[in-house]
Amino acid sequence: MSPALASTPTTPAQWPEAVDLTTRPVALRTCDLTLGFGSRTVLQGVNLGFPKGTVTALIGPTGSGKTTLLRSLNRMNDKVPKHWHQGDVLLDGQSIFAPGVQLMALRRRVGMVFQRPNPFPMSIADNVLAGVKAHRIASRQHHKAIVKARLSEVGLLDAVSDRLGSSPFTLSGGQQQLLCLARALAVGPDVLLLDEPTSSLDPISTEHIESLLRALVPALTIVIVTHNLAQARRVADQTAFFYQGRLVEAAPTARLFEEPSEPETARYVSGRMG
Amino acid sequence: MPKAQRIPMARQPSAVATAKGQVQPGPKWAGRAVATAARNLARSGWLLRGATGAAALVPVVALAGILAVLAERAWPAIVYNGLGFFTHVAWDPGSSYGNPVRTGGALHQAGATFGALPLILGTLGSSAIAIVVAVPVSVGAALVVVEKLPPRMANVLGLFLEVLAGIPSVVFGLWGALSFGPLIARDLAPLVARHVPDLPVLNFFRGSTGNGEGLLTAGLVLAVMVVPIVASTTRDLLRQVPALPKEGARALGLSDWEVSRLVSLPWARSGIIGASLLGLARALGETMAVAMVSGAFLGANPSNIYLPFTTIAATIVSQLDSAFTDGTGFYVRALAEAALVLAVITLVANVAARLLVRKAGGVALPVGRGI
Ligand SMILES: Nc1ncnc2c1ncn2[C@@H]1O[C@H](COP(=O)(O)OP(=O)(O)OP(=O)(O)O)[C@@H](O)[C@H]1O
Ligand SMILES: [Mg+2]
Repeated sequence: MSPALASTPTTPAQWPEAVDLTTRPVALRTCDLTLGFGSRTVLQGVNLGFPKGTVTALIGPTGSGKTTLLRSLNRMNDKVPKHWHQGDVLLDGQSIFAPGVQLMALRRRVGMVFQRPNPFPMSIADNVLAGVKAHRIASRQHHKAIVKARLSEVGLLDAVSDRLGSSPFTLSGGQQQLLCLARALAVGPDVLLLDEPTSSLDPISTEHIESLLRALVPALTIVIVTHNLAQARRVADQTAFFYQGRLVEAAPTARLFEEPSEPETARYVSGRMG
Repeated sequence: MPKAQRIPMARQPSAVATAKGQVQPGPKWAGRAVATAARNLARSGWLLRGATGAAALVPVVALAGILAVLAERAWPAIVYNGLGFFTHVAWDPGSSYGNPVRTGGALHQAGATFGALPLILGTLGSSAIAIVVAVPVSVGAALVVVEKLPPRMANVLGLFLEVLAGIPSVVFGLWGALSFGPLIARDLAPLVARHVPDLPVLNFFRGSTGNGEGLLTAGLVLAVMVVPIVASTTRDLLRQVPALPKEGARALGLSDWEVSRLVSLPWARSGIIGASLLGLARALGETMAVAMVSGAFLGANPSNIYLPFTTIAATIVSQLDSAFTDGTGFYVRALAEAALVLAVITLVANVAARLLVRKAGGVALPVGRGI
């Protein structure tokens, strides 16, 4: 056992079973994706596949472009001033930048949870239903059942069942984040993008969300940005290491941490960088 | 450990000083004490506090004074007119050729009747038209400015709003009387009047369309004057909506309109209500522009929305000169009563605005320029 491994708080039994990533179909793939803002190039020639029904962790020092990559996977960068891109992103083999692609439909399939919880200014139940109503996913008589199902899926129902009609801002930060997760799941996405979803949460909420993510695969494909290497080891089947806007290395999580093939990866995962 | 040490060290010097002061009372010590007291007094800022306190009283005294003077002047009229002031439509200062009559101590011209119902309804009606038109337009414009326009264009538009807010109302009035009113009378009013269904409830929107001086024209001119107030406040409020929930809504696949409707507008809602009430206060008190386009129709309610009417403010400004020629002074008292009613209506609108805005928290609103 390597020193880094020994220092992680969880036992090996909790780690994901080794999945053979090579045999799985790819849900999402970036093809030579280069993008930036104005004269700045932020990502340089990224080729990365996200196998269906797996968790991929994006790690790397701050400013290495993880968030920027994540946001381009559901075209959240489109509105950023002076944003440009080359290359492509394929969702089930189809370019998400193709002229016929409807942005709203794309984002329904590729959902996102942010670093800080961001509930909408409406009741807890309406938060869960916001996307359901907008996309007309279910008729009105099913709404109540959807709220209950999604909240219990993320483990929040017991805490809020008596105040579904009240403001989400009375919830704790962790509960708000779970609500945002329930909201994202309620529209039935194929891919879920998470940008440091637990960075503002305590260890117990963090553990809860991590086990939830494990429970959501293989139905869902998950991409998670994290600064917490132990978290990447706990939840990710595949881990991709970014450094200065380049994808240095992507490999099954255990291999990336134990036998990194690039010296920068080795330095980063052993805590000597960043 | 360091904390435990620091406390006695801080206490010691002052303890010594008190002990010295008590043990050795002398001229030297007394002089120093007086100087210290004077300095402490100066440092306590009594001068500044007194001055600012007095300044803070000015608006209170001014408001109370104005209301008191109005009430004092209006009192005989309030007694004479009674509740009829709010229910009657006839407005007649009485005959100045006959002999003045004395009723319950108040001297007035024979046949004087003051029913302010058309004035009150005209004030409320024209302001209601202004708000119904101006608020959706303002909110829509603010949404476009904040969410759609590139920053430089948004700034240019903001400049226009500020310029519009600063134009004197007499200019709006002249524009309304010369150009906008006739335009409505020629094109808009006949078109609407012809297409409104023939239902008894909608009779107020049908019939003769007049010459452009009337309730609809006044309401729309007021709307143009209210838009800058509501739009610029709403724009500031929308700019303060945090980006994170908006991004969350976008990431959920909601359209731009849904993001505005579900996130931005609820976030700014109470502030927008407050701004609308400030706009309402402005419309209620607006005098010159309304007087110029109202048609100054006293003594009855207009039979439809296109016809001449009047408001409290417009009546006061147009009748004051002739009121001063009333030898009994009673006409002026009736106008003072009308002014008092207007002041109370405006006051209620303003207080409601403040309360709502305070509940919303956040941005300070531009001060209403009403009355
Ligand atoms: N809108 C933007 N305009 C210009 N530069 C940007 C913009 N957004 C991000 N960048 C730049 O892109 C680079 C990558 O940013 P990004 O947020 O993707 O990093 P990150 O890996 O997520 O970092 P962190 O771990 O700190 O969140 C940074 O140098 C940042 O300055
Ligand atoms: Mg980031």
